[in-house]
Amino acid sequence: MKLTAFRIRNFRSIVDSGWQNLSPDNITCLIGQNESGKTSVLEGLKDFFTGIISEDILRSDLSLPEVSCRFFVPQGWLLKVTENPGPELKELLSGLNHVELTRKWIADLSSVVNVSGEISQYLDSLEDAWKLYLGNVVIKLEEELSFIELLESEILRITEEEKEIRSKRGSRGLSLKGLWVFGGKKKESIPDHNLPLDVLKVRLDEIRKNKEEKVGELAKKHALKQAGEKWKRLKSRLATTEDHLKYLSVRLEERHQKMTLLMQDTNDKTDHQWQAVLSDFRKTLAERDESLAELENHIALSGYVITGSSEEEAELKVSNVIQSYKSKYNSSILGKKYFEYCPVFELFEDFGSLLPNRIDMEDIVSGNKQVEGYKAARNFLSLAKLDYSFFQQPSSRILKQKIENLNQSLTHNFHDFWQQSIGRNNKIHIQFELEHYNASYGQKAGKPYLEFWIKDEGERLYPKQRSRGVRWFLSFYMELKASANLKDRHLVLLVDEPGVSLHARAQEDVLKVFEDIKDKIQIIYTTHSPHLVEINKLHRVLAIQRDDLDSMRSNTRILDPLKLSSASANTLTPLQSIMGNPMAGEGFSSRKVNLIVNDAGSFYMLSAIMILMGFKGKVTVIPSTNVSTIPLLCNIMMGWGMDFAVLLFNNNEENKLAGSLKETIFNTDSSNRELVIRMSEGFLNVEDLLSTLDFKNHILESREGVTVPNSVCIREKELPRNFILSRFLSGVKAGKVKIDDFDEETNENFRMVIDILKGLK
Amino acid sequence: MELYTHQDQDFISLDDSQEMDDHISSLRYAGIIQHALMPNPQILKGYIRDYFILFLPRDIVSGDFYYAFCNRKKICIAVGDCTGHGVPGALMSILGISLLNEIMQSGVILKANRVLNLMREKVMKALDQKGESADTKDSIDIALCLIDCASNRMEFSGAGRPLYMVRNGDLIEYKADNMTIGIDPVQEKSFTNHCIVTSPGDSFYVFSDGFCDQFGEMTDKKFKYKRFRELIESVQGLKMKQQKLVLEKTFNDWKGKTQQVDDVIVFGFQI
Repeated sequence: MKLTAFRIRNFRSIVDSGWQNLSPDNITCLIGQNESGKTSVLEGLKDFFTGIISEDILRSDLSLPEVSCRFFVPQGWLLKVTENPGPELKELLSGLNHVELTRKWIADLSSVVNVSGEISQYLDSLEDAWKLYLGNVVIKLEEELSFIELLESEILRITEEEKEIRSKRGSRGLSLKGLWVFGGKKKESIPDHNLPLDVLKVRLDEIRKNKEEKVGELAKKHALKQAGEKWKRLKSRLATTEDHLKYLSVRLEERHQKMTLLMQDTNDKTDHQWQAVLSDFRKTLAERDESLAELENHIALSGYVITGSSEEEAELKVSNVIQSYKSKYNSSILGKKYFEYCPVFELFEDFGSLLPNRIDMEDIVSGNKQVEGYKAARNFLSLAKLDYSFFQQPSSRILKQKIENLNQSLTHNFHDFWQQSIGRNNKIHIQFELEHYNASYGQKAGKPYLEFWIKDEGERLYPKQRSRGVRWFLSFYMELKASANLKDRHLVLLVDEPGVSLHARAQEDVLKVFEDIKDKIQIIYTTHSPHLVEINKLHRVLAIQRDDLDSMRSNTRILDPLKLSSASANTLTPLQSIMGNPMAGEGFSSRKVNLIVNDAGSFYMLSAIMILMGFKGKVTVIPSTNVSTIPLLCNIMMGWGMDFAVLLFNNNEENKLAGSLKETIFNTDSSNRELVIRMSEGFLNVEDLLSTLDFKNHILESREGVTVPNSVCIREKELPRNFILSRFLSGVKAGKVKIDDFDEETNENFRMVIDILKGLK
Repeated sequence: MELYTHQDQDFISLDDSQEMDDHISSLRYAGIIQHALMPNPQILKGYIRDYFILFLPRDIVSGDFYYAFCNRKKICIAVGDCTGHGVPGALMSILGISLLNEIMQSGVILKANRVLNLMREKVMKALDQKGESADTKDSIDIALCLIDCASNRMEFSGAGRPLYMVRNGDLIEYKADNMTIGIDPVQEKSFTNHCIVTSPGDSFYVFSDGFCDQFGEMTDKKFKYKRFRELIESVQGLKMKQQKLVLEKTFNDWKGKTQQVDDVIVFGFQI
């Protein structure tokens, strides 16, 4: 799986980053001012992997974070890792070459990874159908229960009537006045003196018969009545659980708010009351899910009871209907499954990742990440393939010898890495030693610690005494080497400001290392430094800035390489530092579309065409020095945040470039405009826009027969192209050459060029 | 000093008539080759309704040529008249046919005038004409039609040779540019592209100047274009084959026993 894009929501200053594509060549650079949110992006990605967030991640409105990542997977891969997906899901999975995973955090700051995108849409549609089915069953169930209630009240009423007639027959003063017989029709009142006993007897028989019918009918609904009663109980239980969950969520939110204001850690293990709330929340959450599942199951079962199935039959049918409506997978199950294959996201930052002078063995063993240099020390031990048992070696002499051997091996490997990545030699020696605190350290006395040294030509210095560059590279080397232990899983290395306080040369060395490893490891790094942005690879840049540049409370926005024109000048500072001030470049325009062409000759010719055709559009032609430097110019344009396009003629070199430009610089282009304009066959270069006759008349100024394309003629004759095209422009500017001097073929080609320029608006 | 070997003496002493026979048979063979190089107009069958080619070379080999090409999208019909006649004209005609083949088969979508512009460049290149006084003045006059198979449109461009179109009995002339395929005495300009919307039954005629320049036996005057236009108008209503017969008879009658002054070619076609 290769990370191709990410989206971060409700994470520190980021409300919604939108989907951001990473550079296809595995190195993505985040630039932006301090506090713009660059590090938040790295942390968001790291937290996507770890799932662990702290209070200060939450925004002031306490909306809970979500981080989504899109991964490239080979087509068919999803099918391989998903067992028995069912026909519809199988078809969907077989066609996908990417998968989206979203980690969502909930009130207690725990989280779950769900599969999102197309797969979850499909699963949600199944879920919706299931809910609809259950809704229909509930409606029927409610109707049946109302009917049962009606039957019961009728039986009750008939029983009362029966009692009354019996008592009246006994006293012979019978009266049916005010009574109702079943069927709802009011009987005519019968005066007591007109009621002979035999009439009362008939009436009583009728009532008895009616009652027997109703009782029989009710008996048939017995199972349904029981199902209804259970449904009501389950529904009530779920409502109670949900109410409690809501109450707990409010408490959690209040706590988050309070602790954020106090700048304190909310997850205080010693605060038992708080821990009890947390525990209650998690327990209630589990109960809620369980109750919901039980309720849904029971509703489905009731549906079959309504149709007359016995409970056993209904249970069997329920399991069938669940299978037909619900996939065995849901977003969460698949999310969990796919996440197992997700690349490992490692954050490399100065505090934890740079090699410390010393670190207690106890901190390493207990995994105390709060200790400075913990990660670097862990990497070191991982590289040396050491575990705690190594230091239990009873023989001090053997232990020291082993350590010495390891020191030599590590030094040798580091030299290799340095030579390979940086291309220079390095004489430093890495050394670590196992020491024990002496009595002056009080409680620590006698406890082991690791001490690190970097020796250079005999001088022995602590890592912190060495230049920051050496320390950084050494630590980074260890991070890379340790990542080799990941085996099958890819690594996304998140590097926060690798160049900070490094010398410019060392910063460029950092880039070399990135280039060296990019085929194996994806790198996303933040920087302020112009030396850490490659001038000809600005397609790697994502600019991070606040919506309101003056407010640190405003949202963070991420701009892809082709939207850098919307970035503020401060955001683009690192780029402009390497490229100079755009205003210094004659011809560049921030208010026009800058059309990059292969060289000065093309610039002269196109400028002449624009004059001849009276074109006044907002296009300025920018000459590259040659075809190979066009990408560099594109990067400069991106860096300056200017609108630009590239005009490529139909020759081998420029045809090749067209492909690579689309893959890199214009990779993120979503505009409808054609920003890489390719001239059609026959136009090998700009001079081919002239008919042969006009070329001879105005450029060659010769009458000899020309049987090859104009550009080939110039090349074969080794003519000074730029000079003769410049002379042509001068003639046009001086009014010596007018549009009427050209034949219809040339005019047609000029019109085509102007149409292209107009299309750039 | 002995200038000739014995063998040379023998050669020089050969009979003049034998030498002439050899030259003639050689020319005849060249004529066969020249004729073979001209595309078979049968390729136009199915694309145009009818056609005729009246081809009357003055000598065994000719400076006039016809050309036909079809690639299912475009049909090209042309008649060329090279400077001179006989062997020099024939050599030029072969150059003309080769260049037209090269241009039409290049696959480039062309207009009629661009074919001629391109052809002129190639001829100038081949004859090394650069506008200097020492340049050869050889050239080709040509009338070239480009018919679009998918529509009722035709383009015509003429280098010194016009196009006659007869529609409903009326003859319309599309004039040629006063330029040739070869270096121009002053300056080369782009040939004019005439766009013609055709109607079914329209007849077109491209021809060399041989017919009109022919002196008559009886009159000792040229046939001239006026009479040729009238002749063309008069044969309307006849099938193309019959038109050819009438034209041929008229030409022969006009010429009588006088010598044919130039090669004659008339390519008539109906769409």
